[in-house]
Amino acid sequence: MEEILKVENLTKTFKLSKKQQKLEKTRTKVKVAVDDLSFSAYKGEIFGLLGPNGAGKTTTLRMLATLIKPDSGDAFIDGKSIITEEDKVRRKIGFLTSELKLEDFFTPNYLFNFFGELYGMEKSAIVERRNTLFARFGIDRFAEIKFSNLSTGMKQKVSLVVSIVHDPEFIIFDEPTNGLDVLTAKVVTDFLTELKNDGKTIILSTHIFSLIEKLCDRVGIIINGKLAKLDSLENLTKEKSLEETFFDVYKEIAGDLI
Amino acid sequence: MKNILTILKKEYARFFKDRRMVMSIFLPGIMIFLVYTIMGTVMEKVNQPDPNYKYTAYVENMPQDEVLSATLSQTLDMKPYASVDEAKQEVIDGELDLIILFPQNFINDIDAETVPNISVYYNMANDNSANGYAIVNSILESFKKPSFTVNSGENGNLAEDRATVGKILSMIMPMLMFSLLASGCIAFAPESIAGEKERGTLSTVFITPIKRWQIALGKILSLASFATLSGLSSFIGLILSLPKFMGGIVSGDTIAYYSVGDYFMLFALIISVVLVIISAFAIVSSFAKTVKEANSLIAPFMIVIILMGVFSMFTSSPSLGLYAIPLLGSGLAFSSIMTFTISPLGFVLSIISNLVAAAALIVALSFMFKSERIMFNK
Repeated sequence: MEEILKVENLTKTFKLSKKQQKLEKTRTKVKVAVDDLSFSAYKGEIFGLLGPNGAGKTTTLRMLATLIKPDSGDAFIDGKSIITEEDKVRRKIGFLTSELKLEDFFTPNYLFNFFGELYGMEKSAIVERRNTLFARFGIDRFAEIKFSNLSTGMKQKVSLVVSIVHDPEFIIFDEPTNGLDVLTAKVVTDFLTELKNDGKTIILSTHIFSLIEKLCDRVGIIINGKLAKLDSLENLTKEKSLEETFFDVYKEIAGDLI
Repeated sequence: MKNILTILKKEYARFFKDRRMVMSIFLPGIMIFLVYTIMGTVMEKVNQPDPNYKYTAYVENMPQDEVLSATLSQTLDMKPYASVDEAKQEVIDGELDLIILFPQNFINDIDAETVPNISVYYNMANDNSANGYAIVNSILESFKKPSFTVNSGENGNLAEDRATVGKILSMIMPMLMFSLLASGCIAFAPESIAGEKERGTLSTVFITPIKRWQIALGKILSLASFATLSGLSSFIGLILSLPKFMGGIVSGDTIAYYSVGDYFMLFALIISVVLVIISAFAIVSSFAKTVKEANSLIAPFMIVIILMGVFSMFTSSPSLGLYAIPLLGSGLAFSSIMTFTISPLGFVLSIISNLVAAAALIVALSFMFKSERIMFNK
């Protein structure tokens, strides 16, 4: 199996404000969001990152997407460092997260063209890709409606196609079905399977067990910024359900649930 | 280059397809034109009282002098009153303009070379009364003083209208231009930088391969063109309203006093000034978490910029070195273009200093775009 992502000892800390220190009842000024994290992902697989809120999933993905820099450690996507070769990494990846928004003022058509141009794509290539993806998601029906006037589901579909406008080999999805109705969620999960079948590598972060069970080949469980367990879905669900396995791991590492 | 163009095109689409944004470019110009034209018209009316108006007056002991009584009768519409006190009350009430009380033997007293006193009562708060007082005063002053006159019937000011206009404009232009251009910039920078940061749309562009300096340059160039358009619209509004605004002071076509070259220099200065201001405001906006915060952070900088315009009002013969200070030099250049005394070197220095400052600020802005602490501070 070809290793396409190699994460080596990634660590990221954030400074805590005085208010935050009070809230978290701590005197330490620094919160370790991601703590010495290492794992690999292989070409053509869907790798699931499972963990509770605040476990460090999104921070890890933001580092992989070159949006923020790690304090120490590095990660390599297709051999390119996220620290020293960020431009090359950006060309290789697609990143979908609720944190990245599209401008309300523009239409899906305009947004797709704009991001296609930013990825240096030719006009004809953008049009071809747009036709395919817009038809696949039914966006052509609302392609000329301002983004602000679209429903949550429509917006998520547009965000999804915009994030993969340049047909990247490596795709990072952060909670891609959050807030979606069952119909739109199914369209998204079906598409993830399609991408996998096309040979794309996907890193999927979520706290929804069923999504992981349906899609992922391997799963990493993150708790308190550390990788608590990493195995294939098959092994993790051999004796008990993924949910039960997760809670066992959680109790072992973090103690009680509250 | 292509990336910068892509950002430019996007910003243009954002602003020019939005009617409210387009309004914010042209509205200031229209407002300035209307306000100054109305102000000019009103001032003209106030400055020039109606020559045919007859001031109502109560006069006691009108002197037996043909010339004086004839002159006064031409100006005054005399009314009888039972007592001075009654007349005074009428002046206070605005029903009567003037009260003139001559001494009983006024002409004899003058001939005897004593100094008689004439009491003239008027109401400063009443325009007609105040104007009437000024006119009667000048009539009485000139009475019995035929030995000489000063500037009788001619204007002693030898300055050409062109130079007078230049002097006046050089006093008001730098401050006015700086405030107009800065207001143009404040309309666009916070929305485009802090607004995008607040809404999370800037990060979406950050994860594409485009370099941060290209985003910074694309944004600055597009914002600068909006601010220039807005500044120009205000400038044109101002220039068009000048004939009316200056109407009371000079005659002739104010706009035609300046050559095409002068206007070209003004235009070049405007662009370079806008580049500096918009870059500075963009940097301040990138520190802010919200558009609202950006607007309040920019306010003190706005005052500094306007003060630079004020400074150039009080610097009559600046040394060349002053032209090399960004913005300040441009204020001086604005001022000296208006007085037709601009030196080519001073003009070039002020433009170059602005361009260098703008370039440095754009580099700083790209570093800010790279800074996680600044771009993702929540």
